[in-house]
Amino acid sequence: MKSIIEKTLEKLPILFFTFISLIFLTPIILILTSLFQGYSDSWQHLFQTVLAEYLTNTTILVAGVSIGVFVLGVSSAWIVTTCDFKGKKIFKWALILPLAIPPYIMAYAFTGLFDSGGTMNNVVNSIFNIDENYNFFPSVRNLGGAITIFSFTLYPYVYLIAQTAFTNQSRDVFDIARTLGLSKKSTFYKLALPLARPSIIAGLMIVAMETISDFGAVEHFAIPTFTSGIFRTWFGMNDIVTAKQLAAVLFIFFLSFLLIEKYSRKKIQFNLSLTTNRELVPIKLYGLKSLLATIFCSIPILIGFLIPITQLLYWTISFNLEYFDLNFVYSAINTISLALISGIFCVSVSIIVNYLLRMKENRPLSLINKAISSGYGIPGVVLALGVLDLFSLINIFTDTMLIGSVFGLILIYSIKFYALPNSSIESGFRKINKSVDDAALSLGSTKLNLLKRIHLPMLKSSSLIALLLISIEVIKELPATLILRPFNFDTLSVSAYMFASDERMVEAAAPSIAIVIVSLIPILLLIKILDRNKNE
Amino acid sequence: MNKLKLDRITHSYSGKKILDNLSLEILEGEIVCLIGESGTGKTTLLRIIAGLERQEGGSVLLDNEIISNQSSHLETHKRNIGLVLQERALFPHLNVLENIIFGMDGTKEEKINRCDELLSLFKILKYKNSFPHSLSGGEQQRVALARALAPNPKIILMDEPFNGLDRALKFSLRIDTKKILKQNNTTALIVSHDFNDGLTCADKLAIVSEGRITQIGKPKDVVLNPLNKDIKKQFICETGDMLYWKSVIESETT
Repeated sequence: MKSIIEKTLEKLPILFFTFISLIFLTPIILILTSLFQGYSDSWQHLFQTVLAEYLTNTTILVAGVSIGVFVLGVSSAWIVTTCDFKGKKIFKWALILPLAIPPYIMAYAFTGLFDSGGTMNNVVNSIFNIDENYNFFPSVRNLGGAITIFSFTLYPYVYLIAQTAFTNQSRDVFDIARTLGLSKKSTFYKLALPLARPSIIAGLMIVAMETISDFGAVEHFAIPTFTSGIFRTWFGMNDIVTAKQLAAVLFIFFLSFLLIEKYSRKKIQFNLSLTTNRELVPIKLYGLKSLLATIFCSIPILIGFLIPITQLLYWTISFNLEYFDLNFVYSAINTISLALISGIFCVSVSIIVNYLLRMKENRPLSLINKAISSGYGIPGVVLALGVLDLFSLINIFTDTMLIGSVFGLILIYSIKFYALPNSSIESGFRKINKSVDDAALSLGSTKLNLLKRIHLPMLKSSSLIALLLISIEVIKELPATLILRPFNFDTLSVSAYMFASDERMVEAAAPSIAIVIVSLIPILLLIKILDRNKNE
Repeated sequence: MNKLKLDRITHSYSGKKILDNLSLEILEGEIVCLIGESGTGKTTLLRIIAGLERQEGGSVLLDNEIISNQSSHLETHKRNIGLVLQERALFPHLNVLENIIFGMDGTKEEKINRCDELLSLFKILKYKNSFPHSLSGGEQQRVALARALAPNPKIILMDEPFNGLDRALKFSLRIDTKKILKQNNTTALIVSHDFNDGLTCADKLAIVSEGRITQIGKPKDVVLNPLNKDIKKQFICETGDMLYWKSVIESETT
């Protein structure tokens, strides 16, 4: 007869999964239930006035950004992987740097550069001695400007994924294709691209989700999109129920987007394990070709990183060094603490979840793990509304007030970004051969000891990568933080937004540059770890 | 008539000479097997013939025309040379039919007919719409062979084509390959470290050592009259098990 303790222990994994899925999924379910509440007059007003504009702008934005990141990310990844040219080693990691600049900060920098009286217009006017009111550069506060800033800040997602895909392509396959009549140029279109298609589509999906979720940049450029519409309905029209219903519609749109993508990927699924790991040999470029490659790879770094950074630094050093006072220190500590606490929480949960799945493969549990990883595809504003609903429920039933607490922020970051540490830990576990577990267990190790003495040391690198990935995202997150932050609790992103929303761009520069610097630390560490792992 | 002529091919890697004045002639419709240990430059030679690498010295002639020497180099995709690798290198995102018609010219109907013909020859017609990952090693190798033969290449090059397959499969695939190559009158150069590949498939065996051909002749002549101790040793190592058991069985029956 099994004791009660033994029976409870056996059910522990299921209890853990139930608890986690309740926390992670309830906010989403609560948002969806808003669709069954009554519909106010605001709906008709939205429908007659701005809804079509929201949809059109969002669609144009996503389409334009997808094309932009595809051109920038895929071509730079292809050049860096298959060619050998001057500065290639630097470009390989420098092309990731724009990841440190969130789109809304790029938007602030761009308006400072290209607005009437902006730095670039002033430079051109003084060089050519033109009237100082003349605007040489077109305004960036429009859809074209938004597409440009999103493309240059988000392309690293596609670059990273495409570079890995191209690196994993086998030289043998290309050699064979050439003997079958394919010229060097056509191997890119006819072989490399189709082979990398699933990875590139996955990268484009991330970019599309980031674009739709954005609030800071489109708000700054005054472009009405679906996400900014949710904010306006809530804060402008004071109608939270309609805002939630809009959020629910956006979520359903997202879900169908994800399902279509999953279905299309299933159709083109193929097993790359067939190909050998004999890497492509880079072609040495000389003279003009080498120069062109260097120029091409410099453009995204220049526009996506160096120019905005220079503008922000100029503003900060010239006018705003006093920002770096005690308040700044508090904002920075708040930001870093939130990143670390959410990161450690998510990494721990994903280690436990993946360990339990490894010990006992179970389809329902694995489906739950997939479901709780889906938060990445949901805009922060949608999740924030769901978390507020969850806290209201908790308040009604337990009289505990969680609204406006740091707990809300940690919860929302965990729900939104859990997919990042989970995929890293999942692949870390996959790399540990199951026979290692068998060997340890046969040597008398308990299951807990197996985790402690074998798995955790072997997962060190994956855990660190997971922690860095989530930290980068938390540092940059804006819309959910704006909604859920406790009173008088500022993070760097909130400080930057507050100044920018009042058009105090010079003041916004200091927290913006701080965000970039704080984001750069995990990015540089990540580059170093990935490079070390590759060399090992 | 010479189909392929290699004239004093020289090549080196990082200062180490891999091929040293290697010369070889292959007649139309002939199957030649180049035997040598690992690192003797066999694969490099195939890559040079295919145009994937350019030799430091010497000439490659196909149908008595220079396709590569010091002053000219015809690009790989213009040579019409088939290549089969040990790793198969099938295109994982294409099914068997699409893999096979990849390098073919002509109308869609012509391509499909040619594909069906080859798949029937290799006894894998039922896998026409399958993806490579769902096939066994032997089936994948048959697809790789069919793909290389599909555009009617002037010559087919095979790099350790039977490696990584189990013995029974190797045996049947060697016989099928020879039969199909002969049926199509296809000229072929096979490189292998395994004497059995040469003995089963080839019209001629060429032994390569230290970057040059040390002996060439009919398989029977090379085996019965090895030019030096190294060749003899290599042959005995490859077929040693068989000879050992033959002697055991003979001693037990007498």
